[in-house]
Amino acid sequence: MTRSHALLMLATIVVAATLAFGQGQAYHPLGIDLAGYWSQFARQQDVGLGTAAGELGDYGGVPISDAGRLSALAWSASRLTLPQHQCVGYVTPYVFYGPGYFRVWEERDPQTQELIAIKMRPYAAMPDRTIWMDGRSHPPAYAQHTWAGFSTGKYEGNILTVYTTHIKKGQFRANGLAQSDQATVVEHFIRHGERMTYFSVVNDPVNLDEPFPKTSNLVHVPNDPNSWTMPCDDGEIIPGQPKDRVDNYLWGQHPFLHEFVDRHKVPLLGALGGPETIYPEFAAKLADTNAADAAAKTRLIPAPGPAQASRAVDPDPHDGEIHVLPVQGNVYMLVGDGGNIAVQAGNEGAMVVDSGAGRLSDKVIAAIRTISNKPIQFVINTSFHPDHIGGNAKLHAAGVDPEANGGNLRTFADAGVGATMLSHLNVLKRISAAGTVAPIPAEGWPTDTYTQGRRRKLHNGEAVEIFYQPNATTDGNSIVHFRRSDVIVTGDIFNSTSYPLIDVRAGGSVRGEIAALNNILDKTVSWRQEGGTMIIPGHGRLSNEWEVTEYRDMMVIIRDRVQAMMSKGATLQQVLAAKVSADYDARFGSNSGPWTTAMFIEAVYTSLKE
Amino acid sequence: MRRFVLFANTALAVALVTVSASGQGARGAAPQPPSTAKARAPFDVTGYWVSMVTEDWRFRMITPPKGDYLGVPLNQEARSIADRWDPAKDEAAGEQCKSYGAANIMRVPARLHITWENDQTLKLETDAGMQTRLFYFGTPQGQGGTWQGISKASWEFDAGFGLPAERFDRGFGTQVRPQGGTMKAVTTRLRPGYLRKNGIPYSAEAVVTEYFDRVTEPNGDVYLVVTMTVEDPMYLSQPYMTSTSFRKQADAARWNPTPCTSR
Repeated sequence: MTRSHALLMLATIVVAATLAFGQGQAYHPLGIDLAGYWSQFARQQDVGLGTAAGELGDYGGVPISDAGRLSALAWSASRLTLPQHQCVGYVTPYVFYGPGYFRVWEERDPQTQELIAIKMRPYAAMPDRTIWMDGRSHPPAYAQHTWAGFSTGKYEGNILTVYTTHIKKGQFRANGLAQSDQATVVEHFIRHGERMTYFSVVNDPVNLDEPFPKTSNLVHVPNDPNSWTMPCDDGEIIPGQPKDRVDNYLWGQHPFLHEFVDRHKVPLLGALGGPETIYPEFAAKLADTNAADAAAKTRLIPAPGPAQASRAVDPDPHDGEIHVLPVQGNVYMLVGDGGNIAVQAGNEGAMVVDSGAGRLSDKVIAAIRTISNKPIQFVINTSFHPDHIGGNAKLHAAGVDPEANGGNLRTFADAGVGATMLSHLNVLKRISAAGTVAPIPAEGWPTDTYTQGRRRKLHNGEAVEIFYQPNATTDGNSIVHFRRSDVIVTGDIFNSTSYPLIDVRAGGSVRGEIAALNNILDKTVSWRQEGGTMIIPGHGRLSNEWEVTEYRDMMVIIRDRVQAMMSKGATLQQVLAAKVSADYDARFGSNSGPWTTAMFIEAVYTSLKE
Repeated sequence: MRRFVLFANTALAVALVTVSASGQGARGAAPQPPSTAKARAPFDVTGYWVSMVTEDWRFRMITPPKGDYLGVPLNQEARSIADRWDPAKDEAAGEQCKSYGAANIMRVPARLHITWENDQTLKLETDAGMQTRLFYFGTPQGQGGTWQGISKASWEFDAGFGLPAERFDRGFGTQVRPQGGTMKAVTTRLRPGYLRKNGIPYSAEAVVTEYFDRVTEPNGDVYLVVTMTVEDPMYLSQPYMTSTSFRKQADAARWNPTPCTSR
């Protein structure tokens, strides 16, 4: 066979194969090929929302809960002047509803060519997104959240279906209508030739009363639009702005609420959103304008009745085991025994922050040994509360401090025997207070205390700073900053599972709590509020600057509401009846247990009165 | 050269397999594909559905003010017509259903009832406006000139191959047959109507292309996603693209037929 014959045969084969496969499209054994560049088509659908943001007071067509509406009604655009709000990312699925481009490519195993992941790069405000196609599991609930979330996908004919969890708190619209960090999203990428319909369904137990389905229209773009970055660097917008200022509107006092309804002649009841607004029957309800207006007014303030309890997922597995989560650098987070435990490992002994509730201390010690083959050298307590010191005695006994049992110190029989226990002096005072039953055995009491604002150590090759946070949840709070690993352990100053347990009788105060949260934010760095400095909270999931920011904002807003009522002479009972935390209760509230919403509000009220 | 011959022979073998696999009657024992549209349906589109009014909410749930045609790529002539919208005039002319035509009916807040009229025709009824659309997989019936025009439908199994499902069956076996599929409908011969209730016009020359896809959520909710493009050389400067979702309903509990309204 000559070369020309072979070429002819090959060409014939190609033509035959092309005919056999009909359209001449590339063979794609798993499903549709989404690779390439995509763009919102000409901003036709939902162009009334502008850049998907919506005007102030435009919540129509979103099945928001009362909490979601109240949160939006309190939102002031001035909040965007705060450094932590200037460069926030876009969450899934919001990023697909604004104008702009995104590109899609595949990641395949180089040997088997099995599809591992589909990658997406939105034009702005979200790092590259990964949709895992290899059947892997989603991370545990105590893992960190990101703007894009953690996504797994599968092909269903001409549809790519994606399930996403672990999404940060973001926005349904950029007018204050928030998607909570409890939201999960199912997306369907439906390709019809050069066109793609994007259909997402958001389930958000906090800010939605029912699933939120929504579509968007995209078209294939043949050439690289070369528009993939949107630089953003936060800066000082209002010089001298106090750190404890987070602009918000008191309910019923939103100054721009009627702009949207007046401009577009939309009934206020519709503009306020809610599940009924997405169904056909709602149009008839608007026909009775008096009834509709009356109904709208009731939605501008919290509804009467008991406070909402948290609908958030409990990130603690409650399985009697200790779970180890690598954070970054040399630091790990241990979950499962009450309060979170942080462990720094290295060539020296392990440095541990907090010891948990003490119910699973043996397993905690075993878990630490999987991280470090050195004994526990230091245990730092962030407060005296029992879910952070409960394991002190056992961890102390399991450790040794080689620095303390060398040289002249050997003259002391117990020098360096057991781990050195560090805390602020007030922790020791609270534990050892005369006339009270000590919460833990004396063996676990802090032996190395500090009283100034900062204690420092160079351990395991990195600088470790312990900062006193006066009168936050108690009078003895510390935060611990592992500088090279860039991890901050906050203790109960920041919890992702509840309102802060402000122990007023132990010196806690709302002002100190807000100051402590701002102190944490002074030490954090992130890119668009993602990554960077990692935060290990006292309870709950691994976080970063954004979660602390939202927590700080919440504390300031609730303080402002309580303060506003107190300035008019309101009693505690009146403040409680006003449900001043109604927009946060579905996320952090509790009506039972050791720390209820009412106890939290009382702590805010009491500490503001002092 | 020997290497090239080897490659060519290999390619020839591949081609023979390919042609054999996709050829007609290559496997004589293979069952014949279903001959009716109803039997070939890749998913069950029938039942009661309710529209989720979550896109373009203020243009759909509420009749927008005259002249509010934001987002619709109208040409100048269409704008001048929209600016002269007079619902009283439509009522007087008995044309209250102008915004319930095929170019907009799927955007009207409504409940749908979809059934098979016969093996080759799908029927879609709406409670709002009490409209009936017929999707003909076979030869269309009627002359058009109605609010719903003439809709020609087909099933598409475009999973990157562009092959009808039965060819997958015969050629490759069911293991590589794509799941799902989509219903495509092209509607023409329309009676002129409105793209929005506030008088944004489309003409008799408008062509409406729709794709119907069905998806199931982890919680069991089933949605019908309708993707629509309206092309109208008379009034639109470019294609007008929208998409809408409908959630499956268990029954006709909230089915509430109401006549067309023009306001």
